[in-house]
Amino acid sequence: MILRDIYWVFWRELKKLLRQRLHILMAVVQPAVWLALMGNAMSGLTANPVAARMLGTGNYLEFMTPGVMVMTSLFGGVYGGASVLWDRRLGFLNKMLTSPLHRAAIPLGKLLALLVQSLFQVLLIAIIALLLGVHFATGLPGIVFLLLLAGLFGMIMGGISLALAARIKSHETLFAIMNFFTMPLMFTSNALYPTRAMPSWLQKIAAYNPLSFAVTPMRTVATRGWVWGDILPGLAALLVMVVLVVALAVHQFSRSVD
Amino acid sequence: MGAIIEAQELVKVFPGGIRAVDGVSFQVEEGEIFGFLGPNGAGKSTTIAMLTTLRRPTGGTARIAGLDVVRDADKVRRVIGNVSQDLAVDDDLTGYENLKLQAGFYRLPRREAEERIEEVLAMVGLTERARDLVETYSGGMRKRLDIACGLLHRPRVLFLDEPTLGLDIQTRREIWDYIRRLREEVGMTIFLTTHYMEEADSLCDRIAIIDRGKIVAIGTPEELKGRVGQEVLEFEFSSGTDEAVAAAVARIKNIPNVREVRRGSGNGYVATVVQGAQVVPALFEAIAGLEVKVGSVSLKRATLDDVFLYYTGRKIREEEGGEGAMRTRMIMRRVRGR
Repeated sequence: MILRDIYWVFWRELKKLLRQRLHILMAVVQPAVWLALMGNAMSGLTANPVAARMLGTGNYLEFMTPGVMVMTSLFGGVYGGASVLWDRRLGFLNKMLTSPLHRAAIPLGKLLALLVQSLFQVLLIAIIALLLGVHFATGLPGIVFLLLLAGLFGMIMGGISLALAARIKSHETLFAIMNFFTMPLMFTSNALYPTRAMPSWLQKIAAYNPLSFAVTPMRTVATRGWVWGDILPGLAALLVMVVLVVALAVHQFSRSVD
Repeated sequence: MGAIIEAQELVKVFPGGIRAVDGVSFQVEEGEIFGFLGPNGAGKSTTIAMLTTLRRPTGGTARIAGLDVVRDADKVRRVIGNVSQDLAVDDDLTGYENLKLQAGFYRLPRREAEERIEEVLAMVGLTERARDLVETYSGGMRKRLDIACGLLHRPRVLFLDEPTLGLDIQTRREIWDYIRRLREEVGMTIFLTTHYMEEADSLCDRIAIIDRGKIVAIGTPEELKGRVGQEVLEFEFSSGTDEAVAAAVARIKNIPNVREVRRGSGNGYVATVVQGAQVVPALFEAIAGLEVKVGSVSLKRATLDDVFLYYTGRKIREEEGGEGAMRTRMIMRRVRGR
């Protein structure tokens, strides 16, 4: 029963997504520009053997691609709660809440749509990266793995955003809270710099940054191959976080009747 | 048998101690069109939110079709339809898709859903525009679509919160017709709130007036008007000292068929009366000899507006929730599209 309810919430979000194709493409433009500009600007760096060793690859673009993928799903996920705020403001949330629709279906359906959106965006980035000459060490299976991990990370951010949106009524507050986390999360992770180039205090933060949990296994797969010892810890942490966050979001919606 | 909505001593206290609903009891019979009126902030919306399972009562109970709105919330949701004043239709979907989604929410089998969608589309006259995005609809069309959504699962009780808010006269009349047909053809019970008194008068079998969280009057429109007095006499003094006017008013109050005299605007007064045609000459006899002059007198049949004023001390202000509200809502939607 709940699966059908989730399907209908998902169906609605997907219809909306398909009508906002431009919006979804635009969300990819920025990371693509990053890739093209930063990748080029930093390529001088990788000519330096010390830097190349820190990056673990001779090509900064290859180093950066997984980071940019995670960033894209991060930004997509962060604003996932906004759809709940709109639904509330336009009365659609009440419409769902006065119907027999299972309450848990609301966050779950929306999360599923968010996952589809980030998978699509990350796929676009993978294609752009390929066009820019990035070589993925593990080929197509590796790319699929990258998509799934980035999607997983997007769901974590989306789940937090949705859980907050169940309580917070204003867009401004939700965005302020989410923005407060977004930038520090990005710059204290290994998404854009190699951990080995960081001062030791930052290294410690980066090691426990959820963003790094996603980036490390992805970068391993993209640049070095299936080195499970470097893949599994991050993957396991992500899976645990997804379960917790989704449970939190479901809980928030189940009790959203006061 | 009979009562399909039973509210008993419903109370809702919000954090901060505001008693939005303060011991509301009433019953609605099956098949009735029941009007729920009150000034803004009187507790109307909160009462509806409790009846439609959106808010949990702080005290008291409410049952719909014998089901408790708290304990059996999920079953209640199946027997009620809720058309809020928010125009809660999705602009990014077509009219047809909105209905399809609604059918999904109510778990209608696919076949049945398709038949019913066609049926309600025809009923609200949107069959031709069903495949267009709601974004391109006018306010009236959106409202009709929203009502169609509320009807799709054939609820036994339909909550219509301000169904004609901000709509033009013609669309309002059309919606009244739909509402009447629903009752006649389907026997649906309708719980209606409105700012338009003539709407309540012409549609509702019974009316409850709520003010400051309490029900202050309940009955058929005729009964309520009868309680206030069948007619309203308005008169205005064009000259006279304050003392003379006060003396005149005191004498007018003593005329047998005059029930109550209230101060109107300026030097005007409003009296509720019975057999007003005889009160008019009696009024002039009563004030004969006093140093006052009456500038104007008018007599009209009591309307629900008078009833409302009598019980709440306020006039229901149509502009509060009228065109302005609709415009704000439409602008908000447009902003969002960007």
